[in-house]
Amino acid sequence: MRMGLSSAATENECVELCIFDLRRGQHEGQELDKILFFFPAGLPFSKQLSVVGLSEGLITFTRIFSPEAACEVIEAERHSHIFYEAEPDIWMVMVVEKSNDSEPIWRDDALRKVLKEIHSLFVMFHGTIRALLEKEPGGGLIRRHLYSFVMDYLRACKKRPPWNNCCCDYLVGKKLLLPSFRDCLKEQGTVQMLTIGREAAIEVQSLVRVLESSAGNMPCYSLILFQDLLVSTTLSPDDTINLFTYAVLRLTPQALSVGVSSWSYLRKGNTASSVAIESNIAIPSSASESFYGSSEVSPTEDSQYHVVRPLQSEKWSKGKDGYLVTDLWGAEVGTWVFATPTVWLRQTGERMYLCAYQHRNLTLLLLIPVSSIANGEQGVSAVKQQVLEQASLKILKVEEKLSKGWGGENAYHVSGYRYLLVDGDRNVSRATPPTKVATLTKESLLAMNKLRKEVELEKSRAKLDNVDCEKDMEVCIRAKNNAWVISRITRGRELYMVLEKANETLLYATDAVEKFSNKYCDGTFSLD
Amino acid sequence: MSEITSPSPEIQSNSSSASSDNDPDPPIHLRLPPLSYSLFDAEPSEPNGVVHGSASSEPPKPSQSHEVVIRGSSEPPSPSSSGYAGERGSSSATSISAADDLTHHEIEELSIHDDPLPPPTSLPGKRNADEDDASISWRKRKKHFFVLSHSGKPIYSRYGDEHKLAGFSATLQAIISFVENGGDRVKLVRAGNHQVVFLVKGPIYLVCISCTEEPYESLRGQLELIYGQVIVILTKSINRCFERNPKFDMTPLLGGTDIVFSSLIHSFNWNPATFLHAYTCLPLTYATRQAAGAILQDVVDSGVLFAILMCRHKVISLVGAQKATLHPDDMLLLVNFIMSTESFRTSESFSPVCLPRYNPLAFLYAYIHYFDDDTYLMLLTTRSDAFYHLKDCRIRIETVLLKSNVLSEVQRSLLDGGMRVEDLPPLPPHSGSSSHLGYPGLPTDSPYRSREPGSGTGGAAGLWHFIYRSIFLDQYVSSDFSSPVNSPRQKKRLYRAYQKIFSSMHDKGIGPNKTQFRRDENYVLLCWVTQDFELYAAFDPLADKALAIKTCNRVCQWVKDVENEIFLLGASPFSW
Repeated sequence: MRMGLSSAATENECVELCIFDLRRGQHEGQELDKILFFFPAGLPFSKQLSVVGLSEGLITFTRIFSPEAACEVIEAERHSHIFYEAEPDIWMVMVVEKSNDSEPIWRDDALRKVLKEIHSLFVMFHGTIRALLEKEPGGGLIRRHLYSFVMDYLRACKKRPPWNNCCCDYLVGKKLLLPSFRDCLKEQGTVQMLTIGREAAIEVQSLVRVLESSAGNMPCYSLILFQDLLVSTTLSPDDTINLFTYAVLRLTPQALSVGVSSWSYLRKGNTASSVAIESNIAIPSSASESFYGSSEVSPTEDSQYHVVRPLQSEKWSKGKDGYLVTDLWGAEVGTWVFATPTVWLRQTGERMYLCAYQHRNLTLLLLIPVSSIANGEQGVSAVKQQVLEQASLKILKVEEKLSKGWGGENAYHVSGYRYLLVDGDRNVSRATPPTKVATLTKESLLAMNKLRKEVELEKSRAKLDNVDCEKDMEVCIRAKNNAWVISRITRGRELYMVLEKANETLLYATDAVEKFSNKYCDGTFSLD
Repeated sequence: MSEITSPSPEIQSNSSSASSDNDPDPPIHLRLPPLSYSLFDAEPSEPNGVVHGSASSEPPKPSQSHEVVIRGSSEPPSPSSSGYAGERGSSSATSISAADDLTHHEIEELSIHDDPLPPPTSLPGKRNADEDDASISWRKRKKHFFVLSHSGKPIYSRYGDEHKLAGFSATLQAIISFVENGGDRVKLVRAGNHQVVFLVKGPIYLVCISCTEEPYESLRGQLELIYGQVIVILTKSINRCFERNPKFDMTPLLGGTDIVFSSLIHSFNWNPATFLHAYTCLPLTYATRQAAGAILQDVVDSGVLFAILMCRHKVISLVGAQKATLHPDDMLLLVNFIMSTESFRTSESFSPVCLPRYNPLAFLYAYIHYFDDDTYLMLLTTRSDAFYHLKDCRIRIETVLLKSNVLSEVQRSLLDGGMRVEDLPPLPPHSGSSSHLGYPGLPTDSPYRSREPGSGTGGAAGLWHFIYRSIFLDQYVSSDFSSPVNSPRQKKRLYRAYQKIFSSMHDKGIGPNKTQFRRDENYVLLCWVTQDFELYAAFDPLADKALAIKTCNRVCQWVKDVENEIFLLGASPFSW
């Protein structure tokens, strides 16, 4: 499984990540002012400016013809530049180097979703980039925030050799993992749900009700996870994805015990199925360090800005009462009490306290409006206490029920099939576990990767053309290695499937899809 | 068609262009191109930089020592200064001379730049010359093509006046060189539904900006063909002009050839040869094609490189000299060049052409003669003084073709049309060599065949159309369009769908795939690639999968049954 990887990861590969604001630095000589973040920070400014210059040039150029959708990707022989306009005039650009002159082994769309994920999480914790820029037009504040945040995010993506857990070594000669063709049966930016029986569903439902009521009259939200899977949410889809992502990265039992293998795509550090990219950056030069700010300064020591670093790893732990605690948000002024984390909800624009409770494999997130609690940490404590009193029995019961029904990490494996199911309307996906996907040959994975690229183009075209009816299509390809690579899109739902040991006829492959659809998708992808 | 007379010796070559415009119907059209790079040199200081017609007394040779010159740029490059203006030299040693009035005639036809006259054929030349990059209408064009030099000088633009697009052209150049300075090469920029595709060919840059949904590979292939068309007209030795003078202005050399390029670009919308890299034949009985092939072979044996008999875009027969191989793309570009140049239709012509895949550095000489509106002969040679020999060959060929009724059979085939999905025979196949396309009991004039178009709804199992490409023969056959694919828009949409599935099947990295079934709101497409052939079939989107597969098998069987009639078999000069 690693063989294909080592060939893809050569010494020269590198990735650059840049965030810039087109409204800044418009005068000659001030171009540097545009750059809000650059990875690797040690890259000479001339090179950084050249990335931004090309990007800006092409954004302007493409708007001549496509004013409504500017530059999304530049494909050159040796690099791909992936664009994402995170906020009006604020762009994120990722430059990835291709190995050899071969076709790119990743999908633009998957990489763009990485950019989107970084931004969404940033906004959840810090608010919009524009807002921070307005707060401090000099740019120091946003640069410091972005630098800490994105570096923490990228570190989460870095492969960790078990013998080396030293933080300061992360940036030197370690590899950054980006979604590659080996992840073609995963979908970034979706949640994975636990399938539960009717009885368990009723229990969960009643737990959710108790959670809501235990906070009194406050309009609070809850999110329940079992292992790395979502059980229930009362949040909007966007907010659900953000909090789910954060939980899987930092809060679930698997996230708390670093090094334990996980099968969630979000735990990039432990999956060997990504493109390993050498980040050949040296220790940031003093110039860039002062420009972006060093991330290695702890928040409390940072005299100029108080920067909360929610993605910093190994900062969460389980307290005696079952609640997860962290010093990431510092301490309440004048006390030794750790401040409760807060997040911004996208749906309502409200600032919420984030309380996380864990019982064995069950993780509960409770979001309480900051505005509804008058007396700060004291008030939060009171609510937490109240929840424990009213819900702990239910929590025990639900955990027990779910554990009993839990089929293990291969629960969603369907023998003979390698699949990905995406419900675009609900942002939910389910897929063959990575260990099983890894048994597919490189050829099959590349063929699926290619098919997904084609389908993504079709989908984005349909979207841009504002076609009222949703894209409905079916593609079955018998690849060179005789594997069947299949894609079905219907009514906002997508199915991707690789059948390696299938009979050679198209009808056989179709029949296999039909059976799968009837059994696992309520017949969504069945023909009749 | 046999009215062409020998050139009168008294019309000698002369040094003035477009002067003798009294001869209403000049018999011969000679074209002699620039052959050495010095001829391209547009430096005003160069002595003899400008000669109209040829003052040379030497017959042109396909060598670098050639003396034939073209109108250079010491005259201001006006839009009407055709690159061909001075190409009609003469080989006065053989007393052949260009009729200069023809020169004049041709300029009028080819220089559409500022010529308000409508183009003579249905293929328009330069369109919307008044637009530039500031016009909304220009920006909203669905597909732009640009050719520019590495210094950013515009050479060709599909829409708008090149001169007005100098700034835009410089921008394109800046993008390309910016990426190049970073040690890379830009291939594609995607923005919404738009794709910007770049192709760098030495000092010549080609760019396509399109929102047509065509895959990148197709658009890139189209740029390759446009570059090939430039080479057909000028040869690759144009590069040396840029080596000598990076700011070299190529536009005058291509002046008047707008229509060649617009016709090529138009063919990207309808001609499967542009992405299949194969050619197609006019359906004819085996005997008829044999008769044509035999006389062509005769001619080739007498020292001709390629002898090609065509009906519109379809091959009737072709023969190549031993070891000489002709790439289907060369054929496509050659045919486009000839069919889009109106003057070839009106007179027997002798023109230099370069076949980029055969030899991009040198000119060949093409003798072109139309037997009627549709059927024409191309004889290619390396010898620039072969006009009379080729003319003799043509006369021999014509005699045989008339005697063996080939030309009338060609007309008959045009009327009969090609394979129609409605005529798909049931399995097991009935093959009959005497019937038209293997359809027994249905003479070509039967009412069945002449029923009104639009009355049917395709063939069996909802089959609407198919393309079959024989890999070994480098040939394809495409069924005639029939209901419901009737309108130009529907045809174009189907063509684009084929293009897409072709590119999906032939991925450079992982391809080719073996089978593909694709269903969307417009079609069911089935594609089957084997070592011997490729089949692309379009069905009703509601078609039953199992029946569609069966129907594809029937189509393959049908094609095999009638391959004697639809393909040129036997000697295959197309193995490259």
